[in-house]
Amino acid sequence: MPEGTLCNKQPIDTDEQLKALLGDKGGKVYYEEMKLLEVDQEKLQDTIRKTMKSRIKTWLKICAHCGMCADSCFLYRINDCDPKQVPAYKVQSTLGEMVRKKGRVDNAFMHMAMETAWAKCTCCNRCAMYCPHGIDMGVMVGYMRGLLYQQGFVPWEMKIGAGMHRVYRAQMDVTPEEFVDTFQWMVEEYEEEYAGLTVPVDKEGADIMYTVNAREVKHYPEDLAEAAILFTIAGEDWTIPSSGWELTSLAMFAGDWEACRMQVESVYDAMERLKPKRMIGTECGHAHRATVIEGPYWAGRPDGKPPVESIHYVEWVAEALRTGKLKIDPEKRIKKPVTLQDSCNYIRNHGLKEITREIMSYMVEPGYFFDMAPNKEHNYCCGGGGGFNGIGLYRPQRNKALITKRDQILGTGADLVIAPCHNCWDAIRDLEEEYEIGISWSFLKPLLIDMVIVPEHMKPEE
Amino acid sequence: MFNKILFATSATEACDHAARVAFAMAEKYNAHLEIFHVLGLPTRAYSQVVIEVKTRERIEIDEGYCDWVKEEVRMYYERFLEKLGDRYAIEVAIGVTHREILRTARNTNPDLIVMGGSTHHLEDSAYRQLITGSTFQRVSGAAHCPVLVVTRPAASFWGGFSKIVVGTDFSESADAAVDYGIKLARSLDCELSLFHAVDISGLAMGQVMIQDDIEEKLRVARKKMRYRYLPKLEGFTDYSIDAWEGIPYMEIVKYTREKQADLVIMAHHARRFEEKKDARMGSNLEQVIVRAGCPVLSINRTVGRQVDAEK
Amino acid sequence: MYAFLTGPMFYLSLAVFFIGLAVRVILYIRGLDWKLDRVAYRAHPKAGLKGALRSIGYWLVPFGTRSWRVQPFMTVIFFVFHIGAVIVPLFLLAHNMILKEKFGFSFFTLNPTLADVLTWGVLISAILLVLRRIALPEVRILTTGYDYFILAISVAPFVTGLICRYHVGDYSAWLLVHIAAGELLLILAPFTKLSHIVLYFMSRGQLGMDFGIKRGGMNGKPISW
Ligand code: HEM
Ligand code: SF4
Ligand code: SF4
Repeated sequence: MPEGTLCNKQPIDTDEQLKALLGDKGGKVYYEEMKLLEVDQEKLQDTIRKTMKSRIKTWLKICAHCGMCADSCFLYRINDCDPKQVPAYKVQSTLGEMVRKKGRVDNAFMHMAMETAWAKCTCCNRCAMYCPHGIDMGVMVGYMRGLLYQQGFVPWEMKIGAGMHRVYRAQMDVTPEEFVDTFQWMVEEYEEEYAGLTVPVDKEGADIMYTVNAREVKHYPEDLAEAAILFTIAGEDWTIPSSGWELTSLAMFAGDWEACRMQVESVYDAMERLKPKRMIGTECGHAHRATVIEGPYWAGRPDGKPPVESIHYVEWVAEALRTGKLKIDPEKRIKKPVTLQDSCNYIRNHGLKEITREIMSYMVEPGYFFDMAPNKEHNYCCGGGGGFNGIGLYRPQRNKALITKRDQILGTGADLVIAPCHNCWDAIRDLEEEYEIGISWSFLKPLLIDMVIVPEHMKPEE
Repeated sequence: MFNKILFATSATEACDHAARVAFAMAEKYNAHLEIFHVLGLPTRAYSQVVIEVKTRERIEIDEGYCDWVKEEVRMYYERFLEKLGDRYAIEVAIGVTHREILRTARNTNPDLIVMGGSTHHLEDSAYRQLITGSTFQRVSGAAHCPVLVVTRPAASFWGGFSKIVVGTDFSESADAAVDYGIKLARSLDCELSLFHAVDISGLAMGQVMIQDDIEEKLRVARKKMRYRYLPKLEGFTDYSIDAWEGIPYMEIVKYTREKQADLVIMAHHARRFEEKKDARMGSNLEQVIVRAGCPVLSINRTVGRQVDAEK
Repeated sequence: MYAFLTGPMFYLSLAVFFIGLAVRVILYIRGLDWKLDRVAYRAHPKAGLKGALRSIGYWLVPFGTRSWRVQPFMTVIFFVFHIGAVIVPLFLLAHNMILKEKFGFSFFTLNPTLADVLTWGVLISAILLVLRRIALPEVRILTTGYDYFILAISVAPFVTGLICRYHVGDYSAWLLVHIAAGELLLILAPFTKLSHIVLYFMSRGQLGMDFGIKRGGMNGKPISW
């Protein structure tokens, strides 16, 4: 069975393999090899038989082919209503075919399925809200990604991402030492300005265990400082775990369920070890989904919950503002048109729609907040979800997909888009880069830092 | 004083004046020079593509590419490098410019960071807000060593420091800047001028300050400077102390020109988060940087504290 | 022939229909896997039930969901079709007489005019469903022969019923065809997409539990379908 040296069915488990794959510029060799990759039809059929249970089977079977899901998909709309972008078609022509053909599909088919799974669906689950039968094409595409990953038909960056989680338990090559060191460095950098700023590492029994996105550590460590500052201002008893600090999961985008389990267990281990009262994750949507919503199932937890109560950063912010732990200087509230990006992963898929709006009511001067249309659980994907942002091969498709969000933002007339989600933030940054509509965008933390009242004891002496 | 210098550069014309100073300093003071270039930030979330700071092209990063960039940097500075022998290294990093400069400085602990002028037009528009304020602000605000900025061509006609001006507003960090200036002047055998500007710019809105009041203030300032700084200058003769009135940065620039100084030292004491808000106006320090005819060295609180500790 | 269709065949088709659909339901429930579906069905029965009922309920109400509201044409023809398709067979006077005779009980009966209207409604909306399938590219691409077949066997009893109702042609022959069509529908239901008669409730219920338990149902305001 021909398998490439870079493109094959083996997951990445060592640093050397990672380096080798990273060294293949843009995945050139990788994709060349993919053209020759054989489909293990028996394994495919066997996996489908073992893992496809009544839910997905029934969905595939009873789909009325009514097309009511078509208009719900932003990719269908933005691609001039191309019928091939109808959610039901995307799934029927890929997963449906695999099942009907009992796994006897060829290389060309798998290439088509790969493009469908990663370039024609961001797993935003919006279509699930528009299908009368309650068929969730996002879930099915997610399932299919698992099959494709197993067969080695997965975009280069996704394979790397999943490999990172396997090797580093983080989406980038950041070691626990580097994480703690960077956090401490950031706190040092800001302790002059915020007296008493510290970062408690591995403190047992704290009220809050804070987890992050490795990209913050690598490229935007200010975010770590900002988190520390806000926790300190709010007087929270918090800590970071020296291992198990990565909230995200590119493995989820890749469909590498084993890596998903490994990643999320590292965080749960930290919870068991430090026994915090709660876990709070940074402003990231897919990460929250991976660790808090889906994670318990990968780890086999029958109650579907992480070991300790785990909340998204927006939940903490809302709570802190509501209870007055964080107080906003009314003078400093935002006084320019603002809109809010609803992240699919914790708005549609975790019901936090009211909470984010509550935050807006504290932060934005009345009359300056403008919701997108549609919004809340009916909001469109930012355009870069599900791994779309990161895949070079599908960059043109991704850029086109950004137009949906661009026009939604333009429709609000807002100057500032608040995006408490790394993926959305990236997508909005990219859309500004691509289409230059003159907006700015931000996480909550920097905005809050600018407007919260710093208690006397934290003000720098002088 | 300068054993290890970190020269952060875009390896483009924008940094040419700074380069001349950095290389001349390394040569003159026998320092080791680390030439540091930041490639840019991956554009796609976790992809390997960055927008090159230098060419603004989208490129895919890999080791080969980094090596190629290092080679490019080497070629760009070839004629300077000859004089340094093996006392230099070229490093390339991927990320947000100010953050990577600070990261490498934290690892290598240089005595000085040298930076070029505003590379604002080179920074990708989409990142501009990320790097609120300039890269310089961010670096000089957080660095653990003085940061030297060279922006104007005039500033590069440089043959070693001989006349140093230190601007003070009597703040804690300004005192540290004075301390550093004295130390530098002593060790490099320079002429030192301590200077204070009485700020009358706040009176722009039709008000006038009575000249007597101004002169009284000037007198007080000179007295204060003597009182504060003379004890520190013990044994050092080649100094002068002055106070002028006006818009502080303008006065510093004028004073520097009159003194024919080749280095201005100032404190960086704006708080980072506040700085963001009126980044357009910029601080006195930034105004001096873009106007002065010589390099400007900034000292922040952290460095100030170190200088204190050494005493 | 008439005796066969109204005798053994009648009982057989009803048995196949009910047992078949019951088996569908049982298999569906047994095939749920909390780990693979990633929904903790058992751990949170209350949230699950609430989610399921909301999910099923809202979608049974015409214009009850955003999806129904944004596609009013489809909503109207869908509900006209389905209200007729479900109500007429159960509550038609003639059908109730058979029930009374065979099983000794009957439901309340439909006003004959209303029954006519509903039946014509089924027919007209079925035609519109077909036209919609042909006219809209996003539906055309999904449509297969199988979809037309399902539509055909669904409307066949109604068409033939109307023919009998208006005594067009040979009444007793058409009556036979009508009965046969009805029984065919009953027999095929469990084995085809028509099993959605029960699987709709399963599938919607499942998604409702998914949202009710895992995807935010226990986290503030429930989802607005
Ligand atoms: C309570 C029972 C039923 C429920 C809840 C139900 C629900 C549904 C749903 C949700 C759809 C798909 C949505 C759509 O096409 O827009 C559908 C389609 C369909 N149903 Fe039913 N149904 C029921 C009973 C029936 C019965 C008794 C028949 C046949 C006599 C039937 C025939 C059809 C047909 C033919 C379609 C496809 C329509 C098309 O061409 O688009 N259904 N049903
Ligand atoms: S809306 Fe549902 S039933 Fe209709 S085509 Fe789409 S997935 Fe199938
Ligand atoms: S999950 Fe989102 S992107 Fe995927 S088919 Fe459905 S609506 Fe389209």
